[in-house]
Amino acid sequence: MKSPIVSRIALGLYFIIFFGYLMGPLLVMSVSAFNSPSFPSASPWECFTFEWFSVLWHDRHIREGIYYSVIIGLGTVILSVSMGLAASIVLTQISARLRSVYYTMIIAPILIPGVVIGISTLVFWDRVGRFLGAGEGSLLDGLFHNGLFLTILGQSSFIASYAMLVFVARLQRFDPGLTEAALDLGASHTQAFRKILLPFLRPAIASASVLAFLASFENYNTTTFTIVDYKTLTTVLAQKVRLGINPSISALAFAIITLTILVALASEAYRRAAQRKEAVWQGKVARPAARLWPAWLRGNPAAILFVLLSFTIIVAFGVAQRYSPAQCKIAAREAKQAEIQRSIEELRARRQEEAPQAPAPTTDTAPAGSGAFGNVFAPGNLPGAPAPEPAPEPAPAPDAPANGAFGNVFAPGNLTTGGDN
Amino acid sequence: MKRKLIFADFFRNNGALMGSILIGLVAFWLIVLVILPQISMLDYSFRFNLPPAEQGGPKDVYTLSNYQHLIYGSDETHQSFNTIDLMVFLRTIVAAIMVTIFDIILCYPLAYFLGQARGMGMARLLVVLLIIPYWVNEILRAFALRIIFGDGGLINEALMLLHLTSEPIDFIRHDIALYAGLGYAYILLMLFPMYNVIESLDRNQIEAARDLGASWTRIHRRIVIPHAKPGIASGSTMVFMLSAGALATPQILGGPSSLWFTQLVYQWFNNSLNWQQGAAYAIVLLVATITIVMTIMKIFRVNMGDIGK
Amino acid sequence: MSTGVAVDLENVWIKFGDFVAVREANVNIKGGDFFSFLGPSGCGKTTILRAISGFLDPSEGHVRIGGRDMAGIGPNKRPTALIFQNLALFPLMKIWENISFSMEVRGASAAERRKRADELLDMVALGGQGDKLPSELSGGQKQRVAIARALCANPDVLLLDEPLSALDLKLRQHMRTELREIQQRVGITFIYITHDQGEALTMSDNVAVMKAGVIDQIGSGKEIYDAPATPFVASFVGENNVFRGKIRSIDGTRATIETNRSGVLTAEITPAQRGKMAVGDAAMLFVRPEALTLAEGGTDTGNTISAKVVNEEFEGNTFSVFLEGDGAKPIKMSLPNTGQTRIAERGKPLTLHINPQTTVIMPAGELASD
Repeated sequence: MKSPIVSRIALGLYFIIFFGYLMGPLLVMSVSAFNSPSFPSASPWECFTFEWFSVLWHDRHIREGIYYSVIIGLGTVILSVSMGLAASIVLTQISARLRSVYYTMIIAPILIPGVVIGISTLVFWDRVGRFLGAGEGSLLDGLFHNGLFLTILGQSSFIASYAMLVFVARLQRFDPGLTEAALDLGASHTQAFRKILLPFLRPAIASASVLAFLASFENYNTTTFTIVDYKTLTTVLAQKVRLGINPSISALAFAIITLTILVALASEAYRRAAQRKEAVWQGKVARPAARLWPAWLRGNPAAILFVLLSFTIIVAFGVAQRYSPAQCKIAAREAKQAEIQRSIEELRARRQEEAPQAPAPTTDTAPAGSGAFGNVFAPGNLPGAPAPEPAPEPAPAPDAPANGAFGNVFAPGNLTTGGDN
Repeated sequence: MKRKLIFADFFRNNGALMGSILIGLVAFWLIVLVILPQISMLDYSFRFNLPPAEQGGPKDVYTLSNYQHLIYGSDETHQSFNTIDLMVFLRTIVAAIMVTIFDIILCYPLAYFLGQARGMGMARLLVVLLIIPYWVNEILRAFALRIIFGDGGLINEALMLLHLTSEPIDFIRHDIALYAGLGYAYILLMLFPMYNVIESLDRNQIEAARDLGASWTRIHRRIVIPHAKPGIASGSTMVFMLSAGALATPQILGGPSSLWFTQLVYQWFNNSLNWQQGAAYAIVLLVATITIVMTIMKIFRVNMGDIGK
Repeated sequence: MSTGVAVDLENVWIKFGDFVAVREANVNIKGGDFFSFLGPSGCGKTTILRAISGFLDPSEGHVRIGGRDMAGIGPNKRPTALIFQNLALFPLMKIWENISFSMEVRGASAAERRKRADELLDMVALGGQGDKLPSELSGGQKQRVAIARALCANPDVLLLDEPLSALDLKLRQHMRTELREIQQRVGITFIYITHDQGEALTMSDNVAVMKAGVIDQIGSGKEIYDAPATPFVASFVGENNVFRGKIRSIDGTRATIETNRSGVLTAEITPAQRGKMAVGDAAMLFVRPEALTLAEGGTDTGNTISAKVVNEEFEGNTFSVFLEGDGAKPIKMSLPNTGQTRIAERGKPLTLHINPQTTVIMPAGELASD
C-alpha cells in the first residue's frame, strides 16, 4: 500500500524537475525583462520597468536583423517547401528497390551538422563563381557571395527535409486513384495536380511553411557562415550575448514567448471551434443560441484565454506609455549608495583596527577602494577582467538608462563576460 | 535499360511538365544544394591555403596537411601530437553522447506518461506547454541559462541562501552550464519522437502483460522500450548530431578556456580565414558523427527509415 | 446520343518486369455492348482495363478505340471514363463539382457546369443533392455520383472496375439492374470488370473469362454457361460436378469417357475442343447440378451413375442433394421444389441420369479453385 504513494510522489517530483528545467529558464528570463538592473537577473528585485522593451525597440541592429531574417525566412519557405513537396511526391512513386536509398538521401541533410552545411555552401558557390569566371565585383560574383542568397540556399538544403517529412505524413493518406480519376476525366497532369493533390495537401503546405519559417528564423549554425556581411536576428543576438548582455534580450525573448502562447492559443481555439462546428453540424451538440457570448467563445477555454491575453497585452501597452520607474530607481540607487557607504565605513573601521599589524596603504580611497569592492561584492571574479572599476560616482543622472557603474559593480558576472571571448 | 523504364514510367504518371518540375526540384536540391557542396568542401580540405593569385597555379596541389594539422599540430616533424585540438574533438564527441543519454533518461518517463495518458485534454495541454520553449530561439535559450547559472544568478543565490556554498560556483567555467544548456536545447527533439511511437502502442499490450504477471520494469523492458526503439533512435540521432554540431550554445555557455569542436571550425573560417583548414575540420566532424550514428544504429538494429518519424 | 464505339484489343501483352500480367489478349468489343471481364482476383482483368483507359501501355500489341490506335495517348486524351473500384470521388469537392469536373478542366463556366450536373443528378435519382460533400452520401448514392461523373465527360466507352464490390447484397442486386438500364438509355459501350459471375451473367451482352492473364473464352453468358471452353471456365462460371477419366471412344460431337469411379458416361464434346481430343486422352466431364435427374426405378437408360446420399439441403426453390462423388468433393444435384418433403435419407444409394445434351466433355485441365 505504500508503493503507490511513493511512486506518485516520485512522479510528481519528476514532473517538477522536468518542467522546471524546461520552463524555469524562460520564466527567469521573462522576469528579468521587467527588472531594472542592467545585468539581466530576476533577483534581487529592484524596480519594475518597461524600459528594456524601449531599448529593444530602438535597437537598430535587432530591427535590421529581424528584417533580414524575415526576408531569408520567406525565401527559404518558398524554396524548401517546393523542394520538400517534390521530393515527397517522388518518394511515393519511386520503385521499392530504390526507395530506401532515396529516402536516406533526402533525410540525410537533417543529420549533417549545420556548420558543415554552412561551410560547404560557402565554399561551393565561391567555387562556382570562380568556375564561371565571374570577376571581382561582377554581377554573378556579387550573387555568389551575397549573404541572403547563400543563406537561403544553405538553410533550404536541410529545411527541405523537414518539409518533406510533413508532406510524407500527409501523402500516406492520399488515394492516388483520385489523381487517376481526374486524368481519366480529361484533366491534364498539371490540372490534376492543381485541383486534386494541391487542395488535399493544403494543410500540410501550411504547417510545412510555418515549420520552415521558424526553422529558418532561428537557425544560427548555418547562417553564421553563409550570411557574410549581412545580419539576421540570430547572428545579432549571438553577437550581443557574447559581447555583453542586457535585459533587452530578455525583453525580446519575452515578446517571442508571448507571441508563441498567443499563436498556440489561437490555433487551439480555432481547432476547438472547428470541432464544435462539426459536432453541431452532425447533430451531436445542440446549435448554440447566440445570446450573451459570441458562439465561438462558448465551451472554448482556449478562445477565452486568447481574448484575455490579448486584452492584457493591450492594457500593458497602455500602462507602459505612462508608467515610469524613475522614482523607484532613485530610491533603489539611494539605498544602494547607503549600503556602499556603510560598507566603506565598515571597511575603513576594520582597516584602522588592522593598521598596527599591516603597513598602512599609501592612499586611502582609490586603489584600496577598487580592491575592496572586488572582494566585497564580487569575490574571486576579477581575474578575467583587466579593467579595474572606478569608484562609484556619487549622483548619477536619474534619466540615464542603468548603464552606469553600479550595475557593473553589483553584477560581477559582467566582468567575466568581458574576458570570455 | 531498366533505369530508362523507371524514368519513362515517372513521366507517364506525372506528365512531361509536372514530371520535369518534380525531377528538376529534387535534382536541384540533392545535387546542387547537398552533394556538390559537400564534394567541393571535401576537395577544399585537401588543398593549401593560398593567396588568390597562386590559386590554380603550380602550388595548388592536393595535400593531407590540413588533416595532419589536426593530429600533429604545426609540428612539421610529426613528433608531438596536437593535444589541444584532439582533446577538444574527443571532449565534443563524449559530451554529445552524454548529453544524448541524459536526454533519453529525462524524456522517457514523460514520453511514456504523455503517450499513454488517458485524458487527452491533459496530454494536449502539456504538449502545447512543451512547444513554447521549442519556439524560442536556441540563442535565447542559452541566454536564459546564462542568467540562471551566472555568478549572481538564481542558482548561486539559492545555494548561498541555503548555505550550501559560501562563494558563488562558477558553473560556466566548469562547463556545467554548457552541458545543461545542450541538454536543454534539444530535449524536445528527443521527447516528441519518443512520444509519437509510445502513443502508437496499443494499451492492451501493457494490460495483457500486467495481466500475465509482468512487473513494471519487465513491461518496460520487454514491451514499451522495444516498441519505442525507432522513436528513441530517431530522437537520439537528432540530439547527438545537433549537440556535436552545436555552435551557439558553446559560444554562449562555454567557459573561457573550453572549446567545442565547432568553435575550432568557426575560428579557422572567421578568425584565421583559412577555409581549407576549416573544411578539413568540418569533414572530420561530419565523418565522425555519421560513423558513430551508423554504428549505434547497426548495434540497435534500427533503420534509416525510422529517422524523422 | 452516342451509339457506342468498338474497342479492340489486338495481341495485347502486358508485362511487369518478368511477370506477365496479360498474355496475348485478342478481344473485339462491339459498339454499344455491355461487355464484362470475369475472373478471380489477380487474373489481370484490372490490368486490361487500365490499358484501355490509358494508365499503362501494353508491352506488345494494340488497343484500338473506335478503330483508332491508342498508343501514346494518355488517359486524359482518351474517349473513355473509368469508374474506380473505390469510386475515387474527390472528397473536398461538392457533389456537383465532382460530377462536372470533366467540364471544369475544359474551362466550362460555373453556370453551365451546374446545369449539366443537375441534369445528371436527376438522371441518377439524386436531384437536389448537388451541394453536399461525398462524405455525406450513402454507399449507393456515391455509386450513382460516380456514374454521373463518368457520364458527364460524354465518354464513348465507360469502364467500370468492380464498382459494386463495396455494396451490400441487396443494394448490389438493385444496382445491377440500374446499371443495365443506364447502359441501355445512354447506349454507349460499357466495359465491366468483376469477379462475381452472377453480375457478369445478368448484366452483360458478352463476357470474357480470364485466368492468370489468359482469356479462356469470350461469348454471351448463355454460351459460356452452356458450352464452357475450358475446365477452368466450366468450374468458375456456375456450379459444376466434375468426373475425371479417359476417352474411350469419339463419335462425331459426342465422346464416351471411362470415369475413374463412376463407370462409363457419354456427353457432348464442348464446341471449342472438338477435333482436339483422341481416344485414350485424359478428359473431364462436367455436369451441372440441374442436369442430373433421378433415374426412375429400374429403367436404366444408360448414362447413369449410382452414389450414396451424403447430405441434403433445402434452399426454398430447390433441394440440393449431395452424393458421394468421384473425388474429394461430393456430387451436387439440384431438384426443383415440387412439394416433396424430402428427396432421400442419408446413406441411401441413388441412381442418377445424366442428360448427354447438357453435359460437356473436354480435355483434362486446371479447375478454378474455390
